[in-house]
Amino acid sequence: MELESALGKFHSLKLASIMPKPESMPVVTEDTDIMSVLKILRTRHHVWVVKDKRSMELVGVIHYLDVMDIFLPPDAHKFKLGMTSRTLRSLLGGAEKAGDVAEREVLAIEDTATVLDALIKMRRYRSQVLAVVEGDILVGEISLRILIDEFLRLLRVGGATWKSLGSSSQSELP
Amino acid sequence: MEVTWILFTIGVALILAKIGDSIIERFELPGVLGELVMGMILGNLVYFGIVAPQYLPIVSGSGFTTSATEIADFLAKLGIIFLLFLGALDTDIDQLKKTGVTATVSTVLGVFTPLILAWYALMAMGYPSREAFAGGVLLTATSIGLTVRVMMDLGVLRSEVGAASLSASVMDDFLGIALVIFAVGSGSLLNLTVKIVAFFIITGVVAWYLVDYYIKFAERLHVEKGILGMAVGMMFIFASLAEGWFAAAIEGAFMMGLILSKLPEGKRLMEDARAIGYGLLVPFFFVHTGAMLDMKVFENANALVLAAVMSVIAVIGKIIGRGFGAWITAWGRGREFLTTKENAWMSLQMGIGSIPRTEVALVDLMVAIQGKAIPPSDAPKFIAATLIFITVSVLITPPLLKWAFVKEIQEAKEAKAAEKVGRIQETKEKIKELKGGR
Repeated sequence: MELESALGKFHSLKLASIMPKPESMPVVTEDTDIMSVLKILRTRHHVWVVKDKRSMELVGVIHYLDVMDIFLPPDAHKFKLGMTSRTLRSLLGGAEKAGDVAEREVLAIEDTATVLDALIKMRRYRSQVLAVVEGDILVGEISLRILIDEFLRLLRVGGATWKSLGSSSQSELP
Repeated sequence: MEVTWILFTIGVALILAKIGDSIIERFELPGVLGELVMGMILGNLVYFGIVAPQYLPIVSGSGFTTSATEIADFLAKLGIIFLLFLGALDTDIDQLKKTGVTATVSTVLGVFTPLILAWYALMAMGYPSREAFAGGVLLTATSIGLTVRVMMDLGVLRSEVGAASLSASVMDDFLGIALVIFAVGSGSLLNLTVKIVAFFIITGVVAWYLVDYYIKFAERLHVEKGILGMAVGMMFIFASLAEGWFAAAIEGAFMMGLILSKLPEGKRLMEDARAIGYGLLVPFFFVHTGAMLDMKVFENANALVLAAVMSVIAVIGKIIGRGFGAWITAWGRGREFLTTKENAWMSLQMGIGSIPRTEVALVDLMVAIQGKAIPPSDAPKFIAATLIFITVSVLITPPLLKWAFVKEIQEAKEAKAAEKVGRIQETKEKIKELKGGR
């Protein structure tokens, strides 16, 4: 398969066909303690927070970078007009549960969207992961890691090589 | 030539603002005080004739107004607009939805008690009703930041009082910002009410439902910072509508921020909008406000009396209003709790937590001056009084909160000590078990 056609096919893939099942995603409930969340974040870039695992109603997300707010003392935050949402994530500020530190406004996309749609949204909002939702229900996720895996799989299956584009970066391949 | 000195003034103002912010933050006080102090220094260099006004066009009025100072005034106005936009964008609407009866009642009474007290006190001092009302509005909104910080340090933020104070603060800001319309709005009360209702229908209801489509449209433009530009553009249109209708552009900016805050896409604009706001316009606004304080105003005893009256009402009005509001709800624990000492003490804690004032008071002050609710002749006195009651409220709150929460602090210490003893005991038992096993 030519690289260009592989990319074209990749872009048009529906998210529903490549996203992982919710069971294999990092999901915790609102009342999960922060220590359990931190354990997950040692190996994952995010944790989804849901109301309960049966309904999978999405409450928020905790990103790897949010750990900074969790660890920082309250006086490291600036207080300005409006809510002090970041400050309230501090462990020293009394945050205890996943629900206390989750970011409530989650960037989401529907499972009927394509990989291209997801990439555009990710680039526009500088986000490396999107929730895949049906209404308020978390049905999957799409991250750059998943997209990279899928693209490499497509190349392997289709037999496309960098050579087909005449790239000079061939030597960088294993 | 003028442009040279405007650019110079903006540069000096920004640098001093950030330095002042940093110095005051070291004393665990709101950085905005440092920005105001730096503004006072700059402004008084002009008032006292140390620097010629054309070289530092940051103060206006009393013969200082030129086209250069008008530019500075306008930049400061943009600063207020951005401050409110950012404040609303960062607002957690869910927090507001969680507001319980105690927080709601105490907020309403906490807003209206100082407003009414100041309104009557200032009228008794001879100020006209509209001006006295504007003076009262300055005392309405709490700045929760300082309280949050102190409560966190004391470990009581997640207590019942802490949680209620937090939710109350969101509503408090709403009321403080909304009430200024009645101070600056012109025409009959009915006319003003119709305009307010129409404004909130357009911005609060229509835009609330259409913003999603608007952002999707902005996404389709595929241009550099297109969504930010479209959002800020709409914010200015809202601001212009509010300025035209009630001489309070901030209402439009605040509404646009709130509407955007419900979307994840809107929240993602925060960092870019912050860069514009806190990197340029907002610090300039605070320095400009500080620069408007002509120290010579203190030669006039009336200014000191006004400052003293407003400071006392700022502290007492909030403690009584918010505290009484919390007390009558008995924290939702029924009538038998109403007369308990605990109810009285928790209500007092709630009242004390609402004393600090900073940003919204300054915003309301500037809106009232620009809207002529406070006439130019009295503006210096009100500027002085506001800066004094802000300073008093900010300085007085931390020690009062520490005093009010002394029991909780003691309990937390004892709990920690007990936990430590328990852990030591557990370890000793484990060692014993291991020794016994051998």
